[in-house]
Amino acid sequence: MHEGMSATVSLLLAAQNQDGAWGFSRGSSATEPAALALLALANDPRARDACARATSWLVAHQRPDGGWAPRPAVRQSTYVTSLALLALDGRTERDVLRRGAEWLLRQTNRDSSLLHRARMFLLGAKPDVPSEQAWSWFPNTAGWLTPTALAMLALKRWRSDAELSAAAERRLANGEAYLWSRLCRDGGWNHGSSKALGYEADSYPETTGQALLALQGTRDRRLDQALAAAERHMARCRSAEGIAWLQLGLLVHGRAMAGIPAPSPPLRTIPEIALSLLAARARSGDHAFSEASRAA
Amino acid sequence: MPHEMTRRRAILAASAAACAAACSLRPAPGREPLVSILKADYGSGLFDAVRRLLVEHKVPLKGRRVVLKPNLVEYDESTAINTSPKLVLAVMEACRSLGAASVTIAEGPGHRRPTWDLAEAAGYFAEIPEFEKTFVDLNLDEIEEVRLPRPAPDLEALWLPQTALACDLLISLPKMKTHHWVGATLGMKNLFGLVPGQVYGWPKNILHWAGIHDCIVAINSAVPNMFTIVDGVEGMEGNGPIQGRRKHAGVIVAGADRVAVDATACRVMGIDPRRIRYLRMAQDAGQIEDANIRQIGEPVQAVRTDFDLIPEFRHLRLAGA
Repeated sequence: MHEGMSATVSLLLAAQNQDGAWGFSRGSSATEPAALALLALANDPRARDACARATSWLVAHQRPDGGWAPRPAVRQSTYVTSLALLALDGRTERDVLRRGAEWLLRQTNRDSSLLHRARMFLLGAKPDVPSEQAWSWFPNTAGWLTPTALAMLALKRWRSDAELSAAAERRLANGEAYLWSRLCRDGGWNHGSSKALGYEADSYPETTGQALLALQGTRDRRLDQALAAAERHMARCRSAEGIAWLQLGLLVHGRAMAGIPAPSPPLRTIPEIALSLLAARARSGDHAFSEASRAA
Repeated sequence: MPHEMTRRRAILAASAAACAAACSLRPAPGREPLVSILKADYGSGLFDAVRRLLVEHKVPLKGRRVVLKPNLVEYDESTAINTSPKLVLAVMEACRSLGAASVTIAEGPGHRRPTWDLAEAAGYFAEIPEFEKTFVDLNLDEIEEVRLPRPAPDLEALWLPQTALACDLLISLPKMKTHHWVGATLGMKNLFGLVPGQVYGWPKNILHWAGIHDCIVAINSAVPNMFTIVDGVEGMEGNGPIQGRRKHAGVIVAGADRVAVDATACRVMGIDPRRIRYLRMAQDAGQIEDANIRQIGEPVQAVRTDFDLIPEFRHLRLAGA
């Protein structure tokens, strides 16, 4: 293992809470950092015990509706369900994962509802209301890019399931349509609002990387433009989270990192540390989000 | 020919009725809120100006835990989206010089997750010594559920960051900007940055679905001890709060009554505060009326700088330019 990766693994192991999960920095345990840390530490022999304890924590905090809340005290399943599913894949009973996937399949964005779209039509709103079903950060709100991309990554693993494959395929197709509908003028993606009152908005590094990850396996003429936008972001991005998602997104489409400067901004949060380790693993051929790697 | 009741007429009629109702509210004699307008720039006199202002308003700082809440959204060097780090530094040093026990800078941006990188791009690391030790990302902070004293119709409780809930005084440091949904974003709207992304996402879209105006009032009701200092040295006009144009106004507007401060800042921008719904909703003693505010420093007329308004908000323009 690369020396830098080894140091990052040590950082994560040292930050694990007694209960088996991680906080966003040194604080109390939360689902997102726990899931990202578990994903990042998978396959590391030094982290077997840490991964087992993190798995137990995540399984124990699945909510009765099948989803996960951002923190145990929050009584609402949210976008973090996708991360929990990705982290627990292959680590726990199929039923736990199935209930999570079913929760994801039940979630739609409020702005895609017939009622909302009829209301917007009657108000004479401009046609910026998506018909595609995407995913929201928090239930009963609009669809946005990051929760949609993460849900798509999680649902791709249910394509071959006898019961859920049809529903998963339908939602994946809708999710893909949503992502393309949110493409910014520069070829990348921002948080999911490419226009505001008719004004064009530009893309962000982290969300461009996430969208590219979710679009792995896609053949679309706009993909080259999106990959070029990601490479432009990569050349100037100073954000650890942005650099990590960009690398993950570019690598899954077979783009080499050689020649692209990779600055080393400070890693301040557990998600940043975990994502940087996931990107480093991906560069060495072990891509946690790659469907091709999983199939192989 | 009979008058047709168009939507525009209905809105104007409702506005007029609301304005009339607002005029009937008055603060108790001698209790008029104090609001300062200072001519300012980001030069070396900023610390002294802010310190004098805090003293003049008798802001209780000695031994207090203070949180400074700037407005950090996105970075675009061609315009003025974020609160100037020079103003944040001046306020931080002024609070320390007046005996604050601790001063923390805290923000939870609504669009971008990498808050630290946004702060770096906006110049906070370069301008503020030991910024890393003084800053808390409210999106990822420890959180607590709060029953809102003045709930929105669809929002009775919110998870909020402990850093903001545990402080003795929160100083809201907004950028003076137009806003394409509510007209103007100032000290009260700035509190949307308290809502943690780890629960509600980026953007904090639950606040939009529950009604932005209602939510501005609701969140403010959860933060009782607040002082506002509006960064109007350089603001944003047009399609704010992100895609508008830089607008030089050369002022700071400040005070302890958040409604009166925002109303005064609106007048500086050439916006009629009586037509900003959340200000009408939030006032409890007619603080949006000019006559009910004890204003010191520069008079509004001397510093009024009309901010360009997008067509949807031209009806907000204050009369008598």
